[in-house]
Amino acid sequence: MSTSAITTTSPSSKISVRGLRKSFGSNEVLKGLDVEIDEGEVVCVIGPSGSGKSTFLRCLNKLDEHTAGTVIIDGFDLGDKNVDLNEVRQHIGMVFQHFNLFPHMTVLQNIMLAPVELKKESKADARATALKLLERVGLFEKADARPAQLSGGQKQRVAIARSLAVNPDIMLFDEATSALDPEMVGEVLQVIRDLAAEGMTMVVVTHEMGFAREVADRVIFMAEGVIVEEGTPAELFGNPQQPRTQDFLSKVL
Amino acid sequence: MVPLLRKLNIFRAGKFAVAMTALLALGGGFVGVSAAAASQPVQPQTAVAGETYIIGTDTTFAPFEYRKDGELTGIDMDLIRDIAAIQGFTVEIKSLGFDAALQALQSNQVDGVIAGMSITDERKLVFDFSDPYFDSGVQMAVADSNTEVTGYADLAGETVVAKRGSEGETFANSIKDEYDFTVKSLADSATMYDDVKAGNSVAVFDDYPVLAYGINQNNGLKSVTEKEQGSSYGFAVNKGQNPELLAAFNTGLAELKGSGGYQSILDKYLEQPAPAAASGFFGLLTDSLPALMKGLGLTLLATGLSILIALVLGVLFGFFKVSESRVLRGLASIYVSIFRGTPLLVQAFFFYFGLPQLTGQSIDVLTAGVLTLSLNAGAYMTEIVRGGIQSVDPGQTEAGRSLGLSYVTTMRRVVLPQAVKIMTPSFINQFVMTLKDTSLLAVIGFAELTYQGQQIYAANFRTGETLLIVAALYFIVINLLTLLSNKLDKRFNK
Repeated sequence: MSTSAITTTSPSSKISVRGLRKSFGSNEVLKGLDVEIDEGEVVCVIGPSGSGKSTFLRCLNKLDEHTAGTVIIDGFDLGDKNVDLNEVRQHIGMVFQHFNLFPHMTVLQNIMLAPVELKKESKADARATALKLLERVGLFEKADARPAQLSGGQKQRVAIARSLAVNPDIMLFDEATSALDPEMVGEVLQVIRDLAAEGMTMVVVTHEMGFAREVADRVIFMAEGVIVEEGTPAELFGNPQQPRTQDFLSKVL
Repeated sequence: MVPLLRKLNIFRAGKFAVAMTALLALGGGFVGVSAAAASQPVQPQTAVAGETYIIGTDTTFAPFEYRKDGELTGIDMDLIRDIAAIQGFTVEIKSLGFDAALQALQSNQVDGVIAGMSITDERKLVFDFSDPYFDSGVQMAVADSNTEVTGYADLAGETVVAKRGSEGETFANSIKDEYDFTVKSLADSATMYDDVKAGNSVAVFDDYPVLAYGINQNNGLKSVTEKEQGSSYGFAVNKGQNPELLAAFNTGLAELKGSGGYQSILDKYLEQPAPAAASGFFGLLTDSLPALMKGLGLTLLATGLSILIALVLGVLFGFFKVSESRVLRGLASIYVSIFRGTPLLVQAFFFYFGLPQLTGQSIDVLTAGVLTLSLNAGAYMTEIVRGGIQSVDPGQTEAGRSLGLSYVTTMRRVVLPQAVKIMTPSFINQFVMTLKDTSLLAVIGFAELTYQGQQIYAANFRTGETLLIVAALYFIVINLLTLLSNKLDKRFNK
């Protein structure tokens, strides 16, 4: 619980999680997780629904507050009341299953909101950045559209552009393709793939096993609030050691 | 602040001393009074000279008080104004209704009441009365078409109506067992007469001059008994308060009686006037419109002020309700449950009559009315705001917060713009409700539209037509405002 925990993490750790527990009332969802993630590492989290994958992800930017243990992001202890959470969150982009675009704003306004409100950029600069980001996700021509006018895949690409606008060095993806029609999954995965190639530190909660195998540096398998097994995609998918991992993979692969 | 207070105290003490002299001198007749007054160099004329007194009265107790062409007139009004002129003080008349006037007097909202009030032993316990200025009596009347009831004996098994707290009620109750009838009480004469005309009651017991005046105005009734020897009317002040005003009234009354001015006032109102020719509906419309428009203005003023304050309260407590602090949430919940859990009418009575009795601080009727309506509407607004904020997908807040935006910024830029859109129809609804609720303020004598309507039909007894005009005015205004609100809603919340 002490802030001196920082010194015990390895120097290259971007994310350091120790003994993470999270309860909702009497229901303990996370039962002590230990995870170290290095800079530039792409970690995919897989597992059956209800295993605590999303809660784990949400504890990394304190959308859910952990009950016990430490979560240290970029050297900031999220359990420390003196840490400016809004500052830390600008380093962590998050992409949600249901996009959560702001429906009363245009695509461009969605992307420009945070940089302008946080006074990181002037309006003109924010606009230029936003257009560049839109180009990058292939939606330059949708700048003035409203979210309601976009397809699911387009919405998710805008959401990714929006979280990139504050220039984060960590990206969290919470089942980013689960709410999409199958034909739109590819376009979103491509954007994530590109980000991985650029060296972004990423934690990706996903049901896309093929994608995890292709993109991940490391795969974590979670079940019932604990990390059952982790390893490189080749190890975890090719030669799972634990019976629960084997059982899960036999059902989804 | 301090010099002003001191000045007030000196002023009050002076007033009190003069009043005491006046009271002492009263025993010795007026020569004494004028002598005492003359011997006071500070107050050149009388103890009350230059003062302004607020006098409460009934809304309509024709011919003692009623409105003619929008102006309060009648025996009581002429008397108090003439006496004020003689004694050199100023009166501000508040037309509150009989019950309300008495309550206002008890809570020192008014300095005196002149409302055709009988002097009774019971009332003497709480008020100080002047010398009697009119000898009244109770009389019974029935509908013009009624040929069956000609005396008390015909009332067996029937219901009669009397004015709440009046001599008529006391008299009716005193004989109801003997003649086997039921007594129902209503608040004002016009309503009682309508009750009889509508057949809900078979007869009405009312003070004879009032009844005579109404019959004269073609109110559709006829008197069938002789007047019962009744008590006398007096002017009242709160027990122990304003003795100088009471003394001045007595002196002025005696002077008026001596000069013949008193008799000419009585003649003016009680001498049988020719039955008023009933004007048509459009005549009524043009006659009543100026007063109704004045009322409508006050209705809109009270609505506008109340809604603005309610909006502030609603936003404040609405945010409290969704806040993370248990104390703030509790505070908001208590506020909402108090004002949603009690009737608006009770709240209005409380703020106008109850609060001044508790605090000793009088409150004017617009303030009390707006206080009532805004606190009441604010409670509903709180729920609207809470509901609006909570109906916005929590994912929106999460998205805002995950971008590093603060709670306030997320609220302001992300949640509220969406919540306001959801809330707007409910706001418009509350606006209309509050506008209609202003009509309840008529009971505390706030001169809004409904009150003005009551004033008009109380004097002309054309209840149905008058209420139709009043309702039409509400209907037009509310629908115009709703139309406008919806237009604005569409324009800004697409």
